Amino acid sequence: MDVRSQISMVFHLDKCIGCHTCSIACKNIWTDRKGAEYMWWNNVETKPGTGYPGKWEDQDIYKGGWEKDGDSIKLKGAGKPKSLTNIFHNPHMPVIDDYYEPFTYKYLDLIESAAGDVQPTARPISMITGEPMDIKMGPNWDDDLSGSPDYARNDPNLKKLSPAEQEAMFEMERMAFFYLPRICNHCLNPACVAACPSGAIYKRGEDGVVLINQDVCRGWRMCVTACPYKKTYYNWSTGKSEKCILCYPRIETGQAPACMHSCVGRIRYLGVMLYDADQIEAVASADEVDVVRRQMEMILDPFDPDVIAAAKANGVADSTIDSAQKSPTYKFVKEWNLALPLHPEFRTLPMLFYVPPLLPVMASVTDVDHTEQSRKINPVGKHWPDSWLYDTTTEELFGTIDDSRFPLEYMASLFSAGDTTAVADRIKKLMAVRLHRRQETVGDVKENTVAEALADTHLTPEVADAIYYLTSLATFDDRFVIPAAHREQAIEMIEFTGDTKGATGFGFMAGSAQRGA
Amino acid sequence: MDAGDAVVRAGSSTLTPSSRPRVGPILPAVSLALACGLLGPVGLAAQQDDGRQHFETLCVVCHTVGGGTLIGPDLRGVEDRRSEDWIIRFVQSSQQMVSAGDSTAVALFEEYGSILMPDAPLTDAEIRSVIAYTSQGEALAAAPAPDATAEQVVHGQDLFQGTARFSNGGPTCGSCHDVANDAVIGGGVLAAELTTVFSRLGGPGVRAILGSPPFPVMQQAYMHRPLTDDEVVSLVGFLQKADEEQALHQPRAYGIALFGSGVVGAALLMGLFSLTWRGRKRGSVNQEIFDRQIRSS
Repeated sequence: MDVRSQISMVFHLDKCIGCHTCSIACKNIWTDRKGAEYMWWNNVETKPGTGYPGKWEDQDIYKGGWEKDGDSIKLKGAGKPKSLTNIFHNPHMPVIDDYYEPFTYKYLDLIESAAGDVQPTARPISMITGEPMDIKMGPNWDDDLSGSPDYARNDPNLKKLSPAEQEAMFEMERMAFFYLPRICNHCLNPACVAACPSGAIYKRGEDGVVLINQDVCRGWRMCVTACPYKKTYYNWSTGKSEKCILCYPRIETGQAPACMHSCVGRIRYLGVMLYDADQIEAVASADEVDVVRRQMEMILDPFDPDVIAAAKANGVADSTIDSAQKSPTYKFVKEWNLALPLHPEFRTLPMLFYVPPLLPVMASVTDVDHTEQSRKINPVGKHWPDSWLYDTTTEELFGTIDDSRFPLEYMASLFSAGDTTAVADRIKKLMAVRLHRRQETVGDVKENTVAEALADTHLTPEVADAIYYLTSLATFDDRFVIPAAHREQAIEMIEFTGDTKGATGFGFMAGSAQRGA
Repeated sequence: MDAGDAVVRAGSSTLTPSSRPRVGPILPAVSLALACGLLGPVGLAAQQDDGRQHFETLCVVCHTVGGGTLIGPDLRGVEDRRSEDWIIRFVQSSQQMVSAGDSTAVALFEEYGSILMPDAPLTDAEIRSVIAYTSQGEALAAAPAPDATAEQVVHGQDLFQGTARFSNGGPTCGSCHDVANDAVIGGGVLAAELTTVFSRLGGPGVRAILGSPPFPVMQQAYMHRPLTDDEVVSLVGFLQKADEEQALHQPRAYGIALFGSGVVGAALLMGLFSLTWRGRKRGSVNQEIFDRQIRSS
């Protein structure tokens, strides 16, 4: 057992309101630079939709992630022979039009134009060429199902659905969507690290944050192809690749990453999990349907004395073990089994987990007689000419999960490599908690319905309350349990700090001459 | 004052090297001319001796006296055929006379294959001394040059191509000249093609040109970096060999076929590339959407 610690994240999709505040917070801090205009280390997508960059989930196009190779795995679009043959032109990369051409507006024209007969307008200007341009695309162009014939209907996750099921999803009355915020998953088996010919990408030992060393990166862009989530980006100005750094300067100082800190819906949770690194290859090479389950098994119980002893032997700090025990992500992912990773079939073992959305609440359209109702309405009021009712009240709760507006196959394609029971389990739990709280606060649900729901999902009222608390009431410190960074120890593992003691004065990475003294 | 002295001395010492050589040749020439007029037979002997020196360094490579035509005409009886004044002007600059339209000079130039006769850097008196030397009736010709050994021929080839350097640092032949020979790859095209130069000019002719080039550019190039005798022998040997072998060695000129094969090869490679990478991603996944969008211009 090779116990290591990993900073992991949980995004509770039921709570996401799609406001993009996380994206803006990240952009303002990290990617508001030349060459990085088109990058959104954090982005929010509408599902169903093609996302950013377009159709990133379709690995037939982008060749990202790993594929099974006998008992082991190999990179789908990179690796030594493929990298060598494609080293000067990597054909599977997204082009700028797959992301979007970044633009701003010539705002000064609005206030500096000479007086004239027509109102001045602010023309869109390309942030790459500086020339006026026609906006073709944006990073959230398909927000809220806009342009759904082009975007939502081309969602790669629909491939597994029958044409009838697909049609049903886009019936006017059934149409629904949810938001999928995405950042780098800081995977346990990162394809970007494996693909880098320069060895510039590394997974930080102390917390598992995946970083690109800007001094070592040579801009081969194999990581851009290899990452199945398309979360490494090439900076055309510096000639280096960049990615989400999980705001490590903030984490090291005990602050939540900017996207999480600013989250309006408080959907994001961050905490440490202990895992067994010996199992990485075996889990990543497991059969597709087993990957999720095996990944969950890989995450270790931080209260188990054996695990604690092995962690200590491996140099994991006591403070890290302590925060692993308080970790909200451990509760969501392992203890309550409520969260799932995004596209586990890419076999990178992502450490960002999603609580699948229960919403939209299952509804049905029933035939009703509106005449009685219409009689009460003032003649100038809205009279419904048809006779159907969009009904969100249901008799049989779990029965309706199976014919929810989002087919379980669709959710399973996103979160469990096609395993619908894994998704159904989690949605049932969410529903059971909701029933339980409804009974507690309103009391209009039949008691045996609640008891059945809890028993069916193996939840006790106490656990359901704990889930409710962490979902709805949790404070800042409950949602973000950040261990002390121990950077001093981490640095001492790499270099002998005594070398620079007493020699350089302020700052120790660069000598005094380099600092211009 | 000390400083002033130093300047004067420095000035006089810098003058010395440039002024002395100029005075040098004039004084002996004047005294020689005086001696010739005043001293009679004794002066004639001295004059002939001086003439022999000039003849042997400048003339003998192309001309004989009573030995038949070499590159230029046999000079026996030249003093009778032409006036002394004409000879002096011709020797000093034959081309000036040709371009001035002197009928004899033009006829001679054309008769002898339009080969330029280098302008001799001789004074009138020196030319007279040469005439005095050649007109004494004795048959004069250059000593026969030794034939090049096999090693020298190889050395000549190296010298021609530039794989071996001339000992005085002269530019390699191949930078301007070419020879159609399997051993030579890509000579220059700035000057004459030399494959058949040996049969055209003969050994002595080639030797003469190498010894004192009549062509202005070549003259400039080798003025301060003359070829050594051994190098001349080696080069003549190589050129002779190239001439003899020319029927066997005809490097093929591909002409347009070379360019054509390049085009075909490039097309084949492109075809192979597009076949190998036929599964590549072409353009944006949203291209079809963009194509439908309305543009402002």
